[in-house]
Amino acid sequence: MDVGRLGRRVRVGFTIALAAAVFYGSLWGDDDDFPVGPFRMYSTSRELNEPVADTQLYAVNAAGQEFRFTEGYTGVRRAELEGQMEHFEADPSRLRFLAEAYSNHFPDRPPVTEIRLVIEWFEIRNGLPTGESTVEEVVSWQK
Amino acid sequence: MAEVTADVRDEPAAEPTSNRFMRWLFAPVPLGRVAALRTLVYLFIVFDVLVYTETATNRVYVPTDLYVPLNVDEYLFPFIPDPSTAVVQICTWGLLILSPIAAIGIFPRLLGSAIFLLYFEWMLIFNSYGKVDHDRFAFLVALALLPTIGRARHGDSRLSEKAGWAFRVIQLSVIATYFLAAWAKFRFGGLEWLWGTSLTWAILRRGTEWSNWMLDHVWMIKTSQVGIIAFELFSPIIFFVNERIRPYIIGYFYLFHLFTWLAITISFAPHLVAMASFLALERFRPLHWAKRGLDRVTGRLRREPAPVTDAAG
Repeated sequence: MDVGRLGRRVRVGFTIALAAAVFYGSLWGDDDDFPVGPFRMYSTSRELNEPVADTQLYAVNAAGQEFRFTEGYTGVRRAELEGQMEHFEADPSRLRFLAEAYSNHFPDRPPVTEIRLVIEWFEIRNGLPTGESTVEEVVSWQK
Repeated sequence: MAEVTADVRDEPAAEPTSNRFMRWLFAPVPLGRVAALRTLVYLFIVFDVLVYTETATNRVYVPTDLYVPLNVDEYLFPFIPDPSTAVVQICTWGLLILSPIAAIGIFPRLLGSAIFLLYFEWMLIFNSYGKVDHDRFAFLVALALLPTIGRARHGDSRLSEKAGWAFRVIQLSVIATYFLAAWAKFRFGGLEWLWGTSLTWAILRRGTEWSNWMLDHVWMIKTSQVGIIAFELFSPIIFFVNERIRPYIIGYFYLFHLFTWLAITISFAPHLVAMASFLALERFRPLHWAKRGLDRVTGRLRREPAPVTDAAG
């Protein structure tokens, strides 16, 4: 199947536009510019003595049981919690939507009445984990 | 009488670069390859929706209050609705129903376009909760361009420029993913990325028994980081090497991803599917081989002489 003159022009134009968009995204854009945003997987550098953060959620349900509120329960990934951290810090009641998500997904289980968002910081010394960690409470919400 | 002597040149005039570039950009590929990639891509979507990106489907339970729309949502397509239950269901079921049909190869333009739109919206839903994934650019390009080719049947060896262009652009997108990822590291991490602890960070958060041992050996971390950047920066070299070497380089890329998956459980499945655009997929025809094998077996059975009966019997 040969490409005609017009088809050639359209295709070359598309190729140039796509290349321009992707290079713009990588040089000046950010994640918001999906799908042509920068390809930033693990792109930030870490210092040799900078602690590593592990963001975690804990929930307490109406039956008084406490459990780790993982992605399977909330439908929200850890990286997304981190991406939305500012929103949660500004308005802790925003955590209630995670409780709502849980109830929507598991209507037969006792609802969640309390959520804590914490960060476990793993200590690093000269690039090596020391095995020590500290837990920082960031925000919490109670029904 | 004056003799007219032809001005014999020793070499033919050099082909203008723009011509060479156009020939490269539109280098035709067989339609059978298109059919094969279509089958692979559209069947992958079924796996993607059901298994690989299950979180996107679970968004149906998540209140839209947690939805933080991306620029494309706000500026280019303001009419895209928030991912209410209905929208997520439409996307999910639309993809699950249409993709297997498209994988067979019928209505490639119509189904292909619909699938691209549904998948793109599905990606917007997935990526608008605070984290954007980066393993799908080439796959999205593949979804967008495969419908531009028209009908293609498995085993069809006719060459097509339309297909050639589409495949070339998909290949460029695959390499751009690597090359620009190195840029992103320098842009967001600076040169320190090379000898910092990014990999330590990744292993601490997502490590496995294949990688945890590396945490105690900082030199291994740094060497790996340098290796990753080198791999990414040199990836465009694949377009300049002999065609026969290319499959080996792609094999090397696939190995790199295997190790990444083993080390930090990150797989770039959609990207790996798009990367198949470098391979001579038309040569891989399992159904055709099975049918031929079956034909051979049944043919042999039919040719076996019937037991001789005594005519006088």
